[in-house]
Amino acid sequence: MKAFTYLRPGDGAEAVALLREHGPDARVIAGGQSLLLALKDRSARPPVLVSLRGVPELAGVRVEGDELVVGATTTYAQLTRAELPGWQATIAAVAGDLADRPVRTMGTIGGGLCAADPRYDVLTLVTGVGARLEVLSSAGRRVLTPAEFFAPGGGTRLEPGDVLTAIRFPGTAAWDGVVFEKFRTRVFDAALASVLCAVRLDPDGALAALQLTVGAAVPVPVVAVQTGSALVGTSAAAVDVDAVARDVVTEVLPGRGDTPALQYARELVSALTRRALVRALAHPRS
Amino acid sequence: MTQAPPRPTSTAPVKLVGQSVPRKEDLALLTGTARFIDDVKLPGMLYAKILRSPVAHARVRSIDTSRARQMPGVVDVLCGADLVGRVKPWGDLMQDLLVGDHTPFAVDKVLYEGQELAAVVAETKYQALDALEAIEIDLEELPALVDPEAAMAPGAGLIQEGITYEFGDGNIFDRYRVRIGDADAAAEEADVVVRQRFTTNRQAGAALDPHGCVADYDTFTRELTIWSSTQSIYMVRDVLADVLQIPRNKVRVRIPEVGAGFGSKAQIFPYEVIASIFSMRLGRPVHLVLGRKEIFQSGTARNGQVRYAELMCRRDGTITGYRDYVVHNCGAFSVWGNQVLHIGTNVGMLPYAIPNIRIDGDIVHTNTAPGGALRGFGIPQTIWAKEQLVDMAAAELGMDPLELRAKNVIRPETFPFTTPMGQIIDSTSMYDCLHTSAEAIGWAEKKAHPVPYEGVGLAVSMKYTSCRHPSFDTDLSAVRLRLETDGTVTIYSSDVTHGQSHATMLAQIVADGLGVGFEKITLAAPDSVTSPFGLGTYASRGAAVLGTACRLATERLRERVLTIAAHVLEANVEDLDIGNDRVYIKGLPDSGLYLEILASFAAYRTHQLPPGFEPTLEVVATYDTPTEREGADGSGNLSVTYSAAAHSAHVRVDPETGYVRVVDYAMAHDTGVVINPLVVEGQHQGGFLMGLGMVLGEDYLYDADGHLTNASFATYLAPTATDMPELTKIYEIPAPSLTIPGGQKGAGESGTGPVPAAVGNAVFDATGVRFTELPITPQKMLLALREKERQGAVTFRFPDDMPDFTGPRTKAEWPEPDLTDAVDFDWDDLPGFDDEDDEDDVDGGPAL
Repeated sequence: MKAFTYLRPGDGAEAVALLREHGPDARVIAGGQSLLLALKDRSARPPVLVSLRGVPELAGVRVEGDELVVGATTTYAQLTRAELPGWQATIAAVAGDLADRPVRTMGTIGGGLCAADPRYDVLTLVTGVGARLEVLSSAGRRVLTPAEFFAPGGGTRLEPGDVLTAIRFPGTAAWDGVVFEKFRTRVFDAALASVLCAVRLDPDGALAALQLTVGAAVPVPVVAVQTGSALVGTSAAAVDVDAVARDVVTEVLPGRGDTPALQYARELVSALTRRALVRALAHPRS
Repeated sequence: MTQAPPRPTSTAPVKLVGQSVPRKEDLALLTGTARFIDDVKLPGMLYAKILRSPVAHARVRSIDTSRARQMPGVVDVLCGADLVGRVKPWGDLMQDLLVGDHTPFAVDKVLYEGQELAAVVAETKYQALDALEAIEIDLEELPALVDPEAAMAPGAGLIQEGITYEFGDGNIFDRYRVRIGDADAAAEEADVVVRQRFTTNRQAGAALDPHGCVADYDTFTRELTIWSSTQSIYMVRDVLADVLQIPRNKVRVRIPEVGAGFGSKAQIFPYEVIASIFSMRLGRPVHLVLGRKEIFQSGTARNGQVRYAELMCRRDGTITGYRDYVVHNCGAFSVWGNQVLHIGTNVGMLPYAIPNIRIDGDIVHTNTAPGGALRGFGIPQTIWAKEQLVDMAAAELGMDPLELRAKNVIRPETFPFTTPMGQIIDSTSMYDCLHTSAEAIGWAEKKAHPVPYEGVGLAVSMKYTSCRHPSFDTDLSAVRLRLETDGTVTIYSSDVTHGQSHATMLAQIVADGLGVGFEKITLAAPDSVTSPFGLGTYASRGAAVLGTACRLATERLRERVLTIAAHVLEANVEDLDIGNDRVYIKGLPDSGLYLEILASFAAYRTHQLPPGFEPTLEVVATYDTPTEREGADGSGNLSVTYSAAAHSAHVRVDPETGYVRVVDYAMAHDTGVVINPLVVEGQHQGGFLMGLGMVLGEDYLYDADGHLTNASFATYLAPTATDMPELTKIYEIPAPSLTIPGGQKGAGESGTGPVPAAVGNAVFDATGVRFTELPITPQKMLLALREKERQGAVTFRFPDDMPDFTGPRTKAEWPEPDLTDAVDFDWDDLPGFDDEDDEDDVDGGPAL
């Protein structure tokens, strides 16, 4: 670790002002569960750290209109304990089954999203359910879709001086069921592949929307748009799960296996898609 | 008249050996008060850090430390060129080499990624790290040799230059041969010969407590004190003194709490030399503790092997022969690596008395991390090959693998029993262990009613207890015991406890023998100034070898205590007994003299002593095992006794992800007389976990350039508690050692040896996929299943039957061992050693 100056702004505006003042020298730190490791092995060496821990407006879960607004510095442990209705319970479940207890206690959802490691479950989560990401900068506030927030090749498109302040999840009516499946070698490891399946049904039980999102095995989570939209109108009982899994693999990881790791990723995505679909279609309104 | 309450009568003192006495070690560990190497703080202490090579194989063009010297807080900087001619290379003692091949820093050449290039010592560790970044290195990178077979190929570059090993100039630094009976004839005559090429992985010791030391040189007394997280204080002391060319009584090795080693701390390392040199140059204490990445890169790892193995059987299932050609990857250097092949193969032939054995082994350098000792010491590798061959033979013969093993495991009518390999089996319950373990897993029922993607597998091994290393003709431990003048007892031993519970186990022996309360007995920390000479803690030797030294010392001390008591009490020694902290007339345990009184006579009131009695109650006992040196044919009884291990695994394979879960596991062991069942069970659990890591996840992943790509706990897949099955099926079937006076056998490594093969056999039973390489990762498992389906095969070998496999698939493609004899060393062959009087040279010709 290199020496750094640790700054503790009291609100978002002050955080943005400090980032503007220190320019590229400054980095934002929230729970520190990714950044501290990089600081320790000196792969990151920012002279200034702007901590968001003392900014009350950035933490906590609240409902605004239809949306569920999760402050960026809400820890995974806090999310786990939040009693969320309908499909949003999956947000708490995802937060409660990632990494290990110390990481969940310190780590924040916003920190995970900004670290943007595709193996982190929250990237797949926000992409898969169509959350929006609220970013504050000296130019003001803007709200981004995941596709706008993440860079296509990996990482984020945040500019120096930007602060992710909140994640705006759609309301309970957006989806009838959301299922998250992942595979990791050891229980505390980051995922090797993850799949999120979000469904909304018509009153007659046909699929009004189906969104299958693949994470971890790709540089940034990918929604299998074609596969999902092709199934709209199909009755849940008529979905050919194996065929959908094949389509997702073809759409998200096209081509034939060149490396064993890529071959394996396709197998995992296929298996996880099947599992997520089966669960989502079995109890779509749970 | 009121009746007096009955006088309480003492019962005979309870014997502690054999009981699960709670560990003396636990309080400090559980309360966080134990002091490990990184906790050692000395006044005026400086911090050193090492600059390590970023590449695996290179010539050193230059190392410029001048800018680093100017950095804030920097006190001193060293690199290889600074020490040429000023320190003696080491590694000769353990490897039986004429000269050592280890140096504190790479000088002309880098041999592996992470090798020491330079070091800085500064006022703070951060200043030291900053200064490392200011060192300018200029390296000319060379092609890296990562694969041991590639390192042997004609035309392969030379890794160690300027060192002539026994077999010439190549990358082979030792050869190993076993010639027992006639394995070639056995192969001709056998009804069934099964053969397969197996490979094994590199595995880290992964002790949570890092490698490190604090060196503290006293410029006035010229004594170097070094605190080190090591398993062996005298190996550190003697080698360090030799390297620095100072007297051994001027080096004092002290030990903080050592948070495990598993064999990875059973030798001296460059950092101990570097910290010592800094401290000697500066006259200040120097702290040098390695980071995790450094430990992965340079802290020694399990030696990888390629085995071309064959097993011969008669139709009735009798194993008649074993033949093997082994390529043994020792990494770029190795203090112990060649011994791993010798001992692991010798003992790995057990628990069968195979009459015909032929083994050729090439021990090879590569541009990878140094190989070394690691729990099991070569036995898990040998068993991985041999016990899978046993299952393959059972399939060929149409026999149940349990029946085939039961037919062949050592089960003599009388003990001791000498195997063709020369091992003297003084007792064993292997046959019963095998059946107990198989029954516990539900072997017969599971074989009768197979479930898709579930399978069961067996493996058996015997682990040596202690070892007379072929290069290192000794196998001793010692204990000094002092009855203090307040009736407490101090045990001094140089064998470092680092998970083996010496403080508890030795106190149990002393309490029983001396009649002293368990709570009055203390084990002093190992310290080369006060501890008697001993080899250290490795090779599962603690309970049996150190325990025997302790028993001998206890008996000697008891005899001296009784002699004083007999004199004072005017009684015969034969009429006295000892217990409850006193010596008493037999049958009158409430009477007698407290030990503290007798001890004070021996120290403070010497006129009370019998005439001619040498005062004080302090004794030393050393026990060297009656083991043999390795014979020229590879035979020999290298271990004082042998612990049996029979393991049964029940696995479930997820056909969608390839994940292998061990759902049930049974272990039956013969650990002889168990001093503390709680401790032994803990050893078996820990041993199993290391075996599980070896078979299902752990490996050193090198890229083609020799970069270790997973040198962190995030990426190195060591198993955690959640990967463990419920280990409720651990059985002891004691067959007390007849050689060790107390009957003990080693416990620490029995749990590891059979695990990879048992799980491998179970995976085959579950899937029809025979893994010939380690580890069995989910990715490999799934790709094997898919390729097997694609080929429509009933059975499948991974990786041998994968389309992209480039190694030899059949015996016809196997390499042949080079049978050239070792070069006879002759000083006269060296340039500059012309001896005019030696006329014989002309007639005899050069040995080359």
